[in-house]
Amino acid sequence: MSILNDISDALQQGRVPKVKEFVQQALDEGIPASEILEQGLLSGMNTIGEKFKNNEVFVPEVLIAARAMNKGTEILRPHLVAAGVEDKGTVVIGTVKGDLHDIGKNLVRMMMEGKGLKVIDLGVDVPVERFLDAARENHAQIIACSALLTTTMGEMRNIVEAVEDSELKGKVRVMIGGAPITQAYCDQIGADCYTPDAASAADAALQLCTA
Amino acid sequence: MTPKELLFATLEHKPTPRPAWVPFAGAHAARLLGYTATEFLQNEDKMVRCLLEVHRMFKPDGECCIFDLQVEAEILGCDLAWADNGPPSVASHPLACDEDDEPIVPCVCTIPGPSDGRIPLICGAMRRVKEAIGDTTGLYGLITGPFTLASHLRGSDLFMDMFDREEYVHSLLDYCTQVACKMAEYYVDAGMDVIAVVDPLISQISTSAFETFMADPFSRLFARIRELGVYSSFFVCGDATRNIEAMCKTGCHAISVDENVDLKAAKAICDRYGVSIGGNIPLTTTMLHGTQQDNMKWVVDLLDSLEDHTGLVVAPGCDMPFETPFENTIGCSQAVLQTDQVREMVRDYTATEDTLDVELPDYEHLNKPLVEAFTLDPATCAACTYMVAATDEAKAAFGDRIDYRVYRYTIREDIARTKKMGVPNLPSLYINGKLAFQSIIPSREELEKAIEQYL
Repeated sequence: MSILNDISDALQQGRVPKVKEFVQQALDEGIPASEILEQGLLSGMNTIGEKFKNNEVFVPEVLIAARAMNKGTEILRPHLVAAGVEDKGTVVIGTVKGDLHDIGKNLVRMMMEGKGLKVIDLGVDVPVERFLDAARENHAQIIACSALLTTTMGEMRNIVEAVEDSELKGKVRVMIGGAPITQAYCDQIGADCYTPDAASAADAALQLCTA
Repeated sequence: MTPKELLFATLEHKPTPRPAWVPFAGAHAARLLGYTATEFLQNEDKMVRCLLEVHRMFKPDGECCIFDLQVEAEILGCDLAWADNGPPSVASHPLACDEDDEPIVPCVCTIPGPSDGRIPLICGAMRRVKEAIGDTTGLYGLITGPFTLASHLRGSDLFMDMFDREEYVHSLLDYCTQVACKMAEYYVDAGMDVIAVVDPLISQISTSAFETFMADPFSRLFARIRELGVYSSFFVCGDATRNIEAMCKTGCHAISVDENVDLKAAKAICDRYGVSIGGNIPLTTTMLHGTQQDNMKWVVDLLDSLEDHTGLVVAPGCDMPFETPFENTIGCSQAVLQTDQVREMVRDYTATEDTLDVELPDYEHLNKPLVEAFTLDPATCAACTYMVAATDEAKAAFGDRIDYRVYRYTIREDIARTKKMGVPNLPSLYINGKLAFQSIIPSREELEKAIEQYL
């Protein structure tokens, strides 16, 4: 349907007014909100994610596309709620204690939202217990934590251990990422998943939630 | 040729007898003398002592004086969160505002003066370090690149401004470039030979965005640094591969990259522009978590993978992790300064596996205390030289009351012995078969006290 392609294209260019206009137009044409979300907004964000993974677009392009997606979703939300459309899963995300870097974490959040996941963003400098509390409150399937410093990456081990020692064991998976993180480190601390970039993180999160 | 002359020739992309060696010991320098990063970054005396210790331990051709990208941001109103084991982080962005409000560009009257913030402290330390080692060692003054400084001030909205408010981004970058030019002036005045413009965020934008927003400010900055009569280096982090060529065109003398960049491919591009390239020892996997052997092997493999070493600076990918084991940097240093010897060491280390059986002393039944120094090579490795010198002094003090042996990693029997003993790092000092000092050179008092326990 061309209007859905138009939404996807406008989203990829980060054109907020156009996205809003096309989403409203699609609703007026009687297209179900879930279809506009899936085949318009999320499809566009998916393309951006792929391009980001392939080094075809970069941080600024992702940020404006995500902003356009959010503006489009705002229009759709009441319709989605009315139609009983549910999120595909819930992720609690944050940058670990002692670490104030948020750009990478924000990108992951946006990419995950672009997959139709509900993301609870705890911000930066997040202590272990807050990750666990938020996971409990929101019935999250995933705790995703970010660290940009070699000195703060050790916090991830504490999160993994805290989940292991709690009733969340087996229910909540821990995903990790950030510049100094590697698969070897993920294996070493027993985290459930490491991905090298934001788009892969969103793919992996969706897979974990729907598996 | 002094180490400094060798570095300068490298930065001029001229042939040299070996590549240059510049360990980026930022906050890590503090750890050499047991200080926290905060103590080090806020105290001139501690800065000087630590920087001289970096020089003593790692034998650099060039040395960074302070690796802290928050100095300018702090003066310009960003709150900092200080840490014991790393440089501070920016915790607030004074130019951040609501989406619908128009962001401002600071007045040029706010550009830091020479007595603002930590500038006097840093320049004071630079002058003293220059006085102490500047004749033979090239000194790097690190300034925050305009893009990263702009993001400190504005936050990540800066990325969206690149679409929404192009003119604003140009104006803010122009302001940040003026700040950078001033910082370069202060540091050159304090004796710095190389101004490193550190801009990790450059890897996060496309080449066309680089050309639109960054090419002009960076070209102006590097031209100014040339006017000041010193060298320049453009430091980036992350996968900046696609932007290397555009960076070369800004007129910098050198580029420094981390492990995300294929150094061989990047060097080929830089060579075409007569720009030197530095890098890219992996910070976490190799320097922080690897063994000394891993570090030596990594550097030797890098050097062996490049046919032409002209214009090559061997360096960590970025600021070294605070907890980097000292012996790993010593291993890297040795691999650059004595590549052939270290290549043999790495090969012999593998080759001597189970093939050479050495007999260890009967440590339980010694007649007198036995002090054993396990070294890479005391003739060439600075830290090993000091370790042996410390032990020589102890031997002189105790005379025949102790036995004393020095082992060299250049000798196969000694490699076998080092392995059989399970010596984790070199140099290390053992007393009666027990590890007494690992990488850290003991003072005379400390060593004598340790030996006395066995008398």
